[in-house]
Amino acid sequence: MDSLTNGEFNFSNDTLKQDFELLTKALDASLSGIIITDNQQPDNPIIYCNRAFEQITGYKRSEVIGHNCRFLQQDDRDQRARAQLREAIDQGADLVVDIRNYKKDGSLFWNELYMSPIRDTQGQVNYFIGVQNDVTRRKQAEDEIKGNQTKMEGRIEERTRSLKENEEYLASIVQTVRESLIVLSPDLKVLSVNDHFIHIFKVSREETEGKNLYDLGNGQWNIPELRKLLELILPTNNPVTDFEVAHDFPHIGKKLMLLNAHRIELEGQYKDRILIAIEDITDRRAIEQRKDDFLSIASHELKTPLTTIKGYVQIINRLIANYQDEKLKNAVGKTSLYVERLNSLIGELLDVSRIQSGKIELHQEPFDFDEMVAEAVDSLRQGSRSHEINVTGHTDSQVTGDESHIIQVVTNLLSNAVKYSPGQPSIQVHLSVVSDYVKLAVTDQGVGIPRDEQDKIFERFYRVGDTQQRFPGMGIGLYICAQIIRNHEGTLWVESEPGKGSTFSFTLPINQTREGGNDGR
Amino acid sequence: MAAKIVICDDDQGILDLLDLVLSEEGYQTIAESNSLNVDGIISRETPDLLVLDLWMPVLSGDQVLHNLRNNTATKDLPVIVISASGDGQTIAMKAGANDFLAKPFDLELLLGRVKAMLNAA
Repeated sequence: MDSLTNGEFNFSNDTLKQDFELLTKALDASLSGIIITDNQQPDNPIIYCNRAFEQITGYKRSEVIGHNCRFLQQDDRDQRARAQLREAIDQGADLVVDIRNYKKDGSLFWNELYMSPIRDTQGQVNYFIGVQNDVTRRKQAEDEIKGNQTKMEGRIEERTRSLKENEEYLASIVQTVRESLIVLSPDLKVLSVNDHFIHIFKVSREETEGKNLYDLGNGQWNIPELRKLLELILPTNNPVTDFEVAHDFPHIGKKLMLLNAHRIELEGQYKDRILIAIEDITDRRAIEQRKDDFLSIASHELKTPLTTIKGYVQIINRLIANYQDEKLKNAVGKTSLYVERLNSLIGELLDVSRIQSGKIELHQEPFDFDEMVAEAVDSLRQGSRSHEINVTGHTDSQVTGDESHIIQVVTNLLSNAVKYSPGQPSIQVHLSVVSDYVKLAVTDQGVGIPRDEQDKIFERFYRVGDTQQRFPGMGIGLYICAQIIRNHEGTLWVESEPGKGSTFSFTLPINQTREGGNDGR
Repeated sequence: MAAKIVICDDDQGILDLLDLVLSEEGYQTIAESNSLNVDGIISRETPDLLVLDLWMPVLSGDQVLHNLRNNTATKDLPVIVISASGDGQTIAMKAGANDFLAKPFDLELLLGRVKAMLNAA
C-alpha cells in the first residue's frame, strides 16, 4: 500500500508488482464487468476481463480473451446501440449505451455499457476500456412501466372516446325529445337549451344561452309562477313535477305549460344545476275544453226535443187513461220507458264531460247502504223479468256520500249484469262489511271479460273487442261508476272468466266524512 | 179569476207543450219564444208567474231574470226556471229564480210546482 499516496499510485520499480496485483484484485472485486480491448491489434480484441465479467456473461476468461466484443451480441446484430458503438469506436469517443447481450447459455441480458478510449501521447487510441453492468432487471422494470404507460394511454383514450360517445348520445336524446329542455346554472343563467325549446319559443340559441333566465326576450320569462317554482319550491322540494304555468308570451301568445324541474344534488361539477322540462299543453287543454263544451252543448240540444216528447207522452198517457185498449197503453208505456232510457244516456254523456272537467258535484249526506241497494234492486226487478236478482248479506251501515250517484253505480252494475248474461237468469248481489268498508258484489253467469280487457273496461268509450255487435253501448257506464266510487274514496274492480261470468265489486268507507278520508288525491 | 202565466222558451216544441198543459189546467197563458219581448209582456200583462228557459239566443234566461229583479215592479215576480243545462240550477238560483226544474221534466211535477208557487204568492 505504500505506493498509494495522495490517492494516486506511485509506480516505482520496487512496488510495481505489488501495485499491479492490488489493482487486479480491486478490478476483480468490482461488481461491474470490466474489459480492456487492444485497438492496436486487428479487430480490437479483448485483452483483459475481470471476474465480474465472467459472472455476468457466463463465459470463462479463456473463452473471452482474444475475441472481439461482438460475440456478446450473438445473432442480435440489428441493434441501434451497435451503430452508436461503432461510431464511438471510430471517433474514439466516450459512450454509455444500453445494448442487448447474450450470456453463454443464450439468455438475454441488458448490458449498460460504458466505453472509454485510452489515448497515447500522440492522441492515438490504443485501448478501450469497457465497463458492463447487467441492467436486465432495471430494463424489465422500465419496459413494464413503459408497457403500463402505453396500456394506460390506451385506456384513457378509450375512456375519452366512450365519454365523448356518451356525451353525443345524451345530446342526441336531449335534442330528440318532443319537450323543451333548459339547463340553468345555480344563479339561473341559461347554460343550454335544446332544439325543441328554440323551435317552440321562436328564439335563437345566441340570444338565449349565457343569459339570465329572467332577462330572456325582454323579460318574457320573468313569470311570477316560475319565480315561485325556482326560488321557493325547488330549493326544498326537489324534484318538482307537473307544475303548471300559464303565461302570455309577447310573440307566441298564451301558453299553458307543464313543468318538471330538477336540481342536481350530486357533488361535482354539475352540482346545483337546474334542469327544466317544459311540455306545451296549450293545444291539449284547448281540445279538452272544446270536447267538454261539445258534450255539454250536445246533451243540452238532445234534451230539449226530448222534453217535448216526454211531455206529449205524458199527455197521451193522461188522455188514454179511460181507454180499455191494452195494446195502445202498452205501446205508450214502452215509449215512455225508452224516452227515459234516452234521457239517462244523454245524462251519462254529460256526466263524462263533467267528470272530465272536475265539475261533478257531490252531495255529502249519510244514507243507509242496504236500503239504497234494495231500492236499486227493486227498480231493476221491475224493468227486467228475464233475470232473477238474489240479494244476500247485509252491511247495517251508514255511508256518507252522494246517494243518487251511488245508486247510479249499483243500477249500472245490475243492468250490466242483466245485459251481458242473456239466457243466464241468475244474478247474485252480496252485501258485506270488510274492515271499515262496506262491500257490494254483483255476480252474473254471463259472457265474462277476457283477462287483458279487464282494466280497460273502466276507460272512457272503451268497448271490449267484438261486443258492440251483440251488446250495443257507448262504453261510458263503467267509466262513470269507477269515477263516482273513486270520488267517494272507494274502489271498483272486476273478476271475470270468459264464458263463466263476472263479479263486479266496490267498497266504500263506512260513515267517514270526506274531510277525514280525503288526502287531496 | 185564473192566474196569468208567461212562458218563455226559444224551443217552439216546449213552448207549445207548456202552453197546452198550463191552459188545460185552467191558467191564462202567454207564450213567447223571443226573450227580448219578455220585459214588455210582463210590464203590460203583469202576470202572476213566469216560466223561463235559460239558454236562449241574444238574451239568455239569467239575463232576463237579472233585469226583472232590478226592476221594482217585477222584483218579486215568481219565476220558475227550466233548463237542460248541467249547471242550470246554479245559474238560475244565482240569478234569483224561485224554483228550478231540469229538462226533461215530469209534467205532473211542473204543475205541482206551479200551483205551489201561485199559492205561496
